[in-house]
Amino acid sequence: MKVENIELPRVEGEARLELSWKDGSIEDAKVCINSTRGIERVLLGRHYMDALVITPRVCGICGHAHLMASVSAIEDALHIEPTEKAKLVRRITQSLEVLQNHVKWFYLFVMPDFTLLEEKLKELYEPLKGKRWHMAIGVASKIAKGIALFSGQWPHSSYAIPGGITSEVSTRELTTLRQILIELKEFFLKYLVGMQEEDFVACFREGNWRGLGGDVRVFLELCHREGILEAGRSYDRLISGGQLYGLCGYFMNRVVHGRLKTGQIEELERVSYSGAKPVRYKGLPFETGPLARQLISGNPLIKSMHKELKDSFSVRVLARVLEIWSITEAIESWLERLKKVLRERSTSLGRFPSKAKGSGYGVVEAARGTLIHRLTIKDGIIQEYSIITPSQWNLGPRCESFLGVAERAMVGLKSPLHAQIVLRSFDLCSVCTTH
Amino acid sequence: MRVFWLQRFACCGNTHSFLNYENFSSLLERVELIYHPSLSLKPQEEAIRELLKEKKGVEILVVEGAVRYEDRETVELCRLADFVLAVGNCAVYGNIPALGDKDICGLTYRFKEKGGLLGRDFLSGAGLPVINLSGCPAHPEWIVGTILMLLEGIRPELDQWGRPKEFYSSLTHWGCTRNEYFEWKVEAEELGSKRGCLFYHFGCRGPLSFSSCNTILWNGVSSKTRAGTPCFGCTEYDFPRMGLWETRQYAGIPAELPIGVSKRGYIMLSGVAKMFAPERLKGEG
Repeated sequence: MKVENIELPRVEGEARLELSWKDGSIEDAKVCINSTRGIERVLLGRHYMDALVITPRVCGICGHAHLMASVSAIEDALHIEPTEKAKLVRRITQSLEVLQNHVKWFYLFVMPDFTLLEEKLKELYEPLKGKRWHMAIGVASKIAKGIALFSGQWPHSSYAIPGGITSEVSTRELTTLRQILIELKEFFLKYLVGMQEEDFVACFREGNWRGLGGDVRVFLELCHREGILEAGRSYDRLISGGQLYGLCGYFMNRVVHGRLKTGQIEELERVSYSGAKPVRYKGLPFETGPLARQLISGNPLIKSMHKELKDSFSVRVLARVLEIWSITEAIESWLERLKKVLRERSTSLGRFPSKAKGSGYGVVEAARGTLIHRLTIKDGIIQEYSIITPSQWNLGPRCESFLGVAERAMVGLKSPLHAQIVLRSFDLCSVCTTH
Repeated sequence: MRVFWLQRFACCGNTHSFLNYENFSSLLERVELIYHPSLSLKPQEEAIRELLKEKKGVEILVVEGAVRYEDRETVELCRLADFVLAVGNCAVYGNIPALGDKDICGLTYRFKEKGGLLGRDFLSGAGLPVINLSGCPAHPEWIVGTILMLLEGIRPELDQWGRPKEFYSSLTHWGCTRNEYFEWKVEAEELGSKRGCLFYHFGCRGPLSFSSCNTILWNGVSSKTRAGTPCFGCTEYDFPRMGLWETRQYAGIPAELPIGVSKRGYIMLSGVAKMFAPERLKGEG
């Protein structure tokens, strides 16, 4: 048996892949992520409000999700209800962060691997040079501007506070964001799926994923040619805990189950090769992320694709790309609701209680899946803080009984590049995995 | 001009801030980003090995993230570069990663203590100390602005922390839309409103921090204080302080006064300002 060590490129942070080969195929795979910054420890002994500034710094690309998880955990602990207006605005900015992440992930992280398989794709997708690569950067930063309209800046805003938000939102933010969403939809239709809106809607309703064009088609054709369309299956157990749009719950034994119980989520002890703790639900490994969300909320395209290809890596990629559309439409509907409550107050509280106590959970859907913060406060001071990130579910290591989700997905593959492509479908964020 | 981007203990927030630069595509036409770990095809370790081997050097080395004192590789890379840019508070002061680990620091500082990984006297190939671009994250205009300055052959004038004066010589307070409230000492009693100054109760560091946030704005549209969030002083060595949302007070006066303001002057002025504050600034409006 040969063991191969691969340093991974384009990771948020650093990560290594250890592959064990037998008879030309991967027999075992380990995702090794080591550097931890100890963010949970930094929070201990601080006032709970400090968490709103520090936890976003877990991750440069999904910091807003950490802010939302922190504020929800504090509100849960202190029994504070935010205003309707604040809830809507938070959902909008959190979803926008997911959108910029999806766009960057597909064009900056996924497609560049494919230029190694097909020379002529370089013109469009080569890092720093490709036409679409450049467009994607522009689209993503426009979305970031949409977030900043409400939150002051992106990355690393702290505008969500117990009871609401710090900004006094007015019509300007709403109308400007509307323009940004229109441009995003145009980009999605023209380039990602390469079709008119009515044709896309038809494909969507019929679950006709083979009918999609654009960059999605380029991706699918290449997967087909490489024989990896059905590669990268894992446990086919999916979990979605927060609410981005649609439902939360879990998918197991081919059935979608309703609400999940946070008490059943368990963080296990670290193993030698990873700085991340494995996470299990009911003792089992689950995959979290767009595929879980799309399947649980019943996107017909993903349902039909999943029926054929199960939790293959290509389904995972498409679920994330197509979620751009679902989320954009959801934001549009929230903007309609926001119009009706624009005159409402931004916060139900105004001043935060300085001495307070309680314990609480904050569960949100980040771009890569379910993110959980839990904290205990006494006399206003943080006594305990724990963070379970989506990447811990997906990229986290094995336990005594099960391989990690991504590890299992790589077993049986025939090439190191294919292993990296499959691994990337989970999105490699080492800074979140170990935090 | 060849630019090599290195990442160490980071959240990659400076990378994502950099990607928000408005004219990103035309920037890449002018500078050659020879390597970026989040963007390029190769893994970072391989790119470093190649750079060290080919001995061609590099004009600009950008370092994002805090470093370990024992990180000889980063030292070697810094020695190779004409200019070294420490981007973000982690690379400058150590920031959050250094809070929990005494072996972690910034390139030339560990919080306010001078030295860091490279020592007090480090000069890059072009004879300049490390150019520090503090901030959590650094604004894209500070990162790109500095690179463009070097491209034009202009050597940035640095402040006492090694930061280009161009971006760090004015207070974050400059351009804040709440300045009139500050002037007349009208305090924000609650968060969530465009009115009132956040300096008195909510810990705003605007008058105590150096940055151009409120004059150039973030993402072209806003800033923390414009969105009702206090400035947390993320361009300074003591970020993140304990009690970020609170103004410590002694006898009803902020324990730390705006830079350069005397206590006596502050008390006299604020008494008068409060007495004559225009009515339109008070209440909900």
